[in-house]
Amino acid sequence: MHTKPIPMSSSARGGSIVIRKMGRGATWCMLTFYALLTLYPLIWLFVSAFKDNQDFFSRPFGLPSSWHFDNFSRAWKVAGMDIALLNSAIVTSVSLVLTVLIGSLAAFILSRFHFRLKGAVMGLFLIGMLIPVHSTLVPLFIMMKEMSLLDTYAALVLPYIAFELPIAIFIISAYMTTFPKELEEAATIDGAGYWSIFCRIMLPLSMPAISTVAVLGFLRFWNDFAFPLVLINKPSLKTLPLSLSIFADGYGTDYSLTLAALTISVIPTIIIYLIFQEQIMKGMLAGSVKG
Amino acid sequence: MTTAARTRAFIIAGLLPALILYLLFVVVPVFWSSYYGFFSWKGIGEMKFIGLDNYTEVLKDEIFWKSFVNNLYIVAYSVFGQVPIALLLAIVLARNSWYQRFLRASIFMPMVLSSVVIGLIWGYIYHPQIGILNFLLDSLGLSSWKLGWLSDPKVAMYSIGPPIIWANIGPYLILFIAALQNIPGEMDDAAQIDGATGLRKLFQITLPMIWGTIKVAIILCISGSLKAFDLIFIMTRGGPANSTELLATYMYNNTFNIFRYGYGSAVSTSIVIISLLLIAGSQFLMNRNKNVA
Repeated sequence: MHTKPIPMSSSARGGSIVIRKMGRGATWCMLTFYALLTLYPLIWLFVSAFKDNQDFFSRPFGLPSSWHFDNFSRAWKVAGMDIALLNSAIVTSVSLVLTVLIGSLAAFILSRFHFRLKGAVMGLFLIGMLIPVHSTLVPLFIMMKEMSLLDTYAALVLPYIAFELPIAIFIISAYMTTFPKELEEAATIDGAGYWSIFCRIMLPLSMPAISTVAVLGFLRFWNDFAFPLVLINKPSLKTLPLSLSIFADGYGTDYSLTLAALTISVIPTIIIYLIFQEQIMKGMLAGSVKG
Repeated sequence: MTTAARTRAFIIAGLLPALILYLLFVVVPVFWSSYYGFFSWKGIGEMKFIGLDNYTEVLKDEIFWKSFVNNLYIVAYSVFGQVPIALLLAIVLARNSWYQRFLRASIFMPMVLSSVVIGLIWGYIYHPQIGILNFLLDSLGLSSWKLGWLSDPKVAMYSIGPPIIWANIGPYLILFIAALQNIPGEMDDAAQIDGATGLRKLFQITLPMIWGTIKVAIILCISGSLKAFDLIFIMTRGGPANSTELLATYMYNNTFNIFRYGYGSAVSTSIVIISLLLIAGSQFLMNRNKNVA
């Protein structure tokens, strides 16, 4: 509890309180300014997405002189955002479901069973967090080519799961170790096998940890650029970040189209962020501290 | 089946999918790339064994070392940009009022965006003709300060700093806030009774209390700097004139632009070795400090 030695200090330092209040006010102003500065690039993106090219050049800071909603319909069709969105949704959801299932099954075994190689297996998964993703691009490209998996959804889904497994196992098994031992004992007495313990007890009870893993995985898969860059070439299979990347070389192109396309790709992540803010913050912390 | 046998079967069946995927797509590629590094190979046709030639070429290539130095630049941006800014913000944002939570959320926001989006937005900010930075300088009457932020080889690597700091402050902020909230309230009271306030309290009590967390943050900066591929690839592709080349873009360009798969593999292996050395080195330094203190 905070017990304050009030009387002496407040009367003796009346002047310094005024200064401190002014200081606090200044801090607030600077903080708000800083937050606006961080948000500005995004606000600028959303506002500019409604401008026509002329407006974009002449008044980069102003509001649009007329709001062009057609930018979005053009981006949807012309820039192929519809296909890219669909591809991203398929790749992300398949990877997510498999990561969660395979990861929590492994986490269940690593946290609730005792066997000889347990420490070694756990260590093996932890080492994986130290391997820089980009250093595997070349060999993965060659492997996928020899397995004839280039230009398929599997080329993305398989490495996504593999790279997300260590953090998934780490987060979920840390959560599962906190359950009391009697949980399985009671279920075993009732005649439940391991599989039904896993499906009926462990999975539902671990939902908080699983949802953290799922949210982190969503952001990682949805935003990933390096793997599709190397493993996907076919326009009909391009994910959102890969389709957007073509705008990077295009000096002197259709800016309003580009910004509308960017906005379309950002909206799902922003929505997820607004809903799962706390989980994302804590999960990313856990993820980065371990990695 | 006996219970023991059933348990063992379950353990194996449950671990197998995770282990197979993980070994096949994370661990095996690392070893494969060190193997491919011994060959000269254009991706099609015959692979020619050339011993250590690729690896010695990597070590002799000036651009490889320039890329390495650029990676260190990114470490420096993180250590001297992200860490102090995040720490400062954490100190003023450690309470839980709605406005503080709102500020935290806005500062964290860029973390959830794709690097492609971040790279494109900052590409527009820095654009020499239509960029809002040069437009801003013009309207402030500072036209002489205008630069080709990403197109001038002398400036480009510095221009990379702000987007990287902007995008990655979030986790550090949360890390520091968590550490600050863990400082026991009695410390505050004791400091107040001893008359320690303001800066003195900050340097003599708060910072020493969270020194461990600051060290963790610095290690994170080092390992995080090796992940900066996407942003730079979108903004500059390592150019102009290799001025922003990173180890990862160097590897990409050698492999997929000029089709030297063997050489690219040798570079990949070097990246793994360098990053393990960096992480081991920083961990060692940090632990040694702890023993001394």
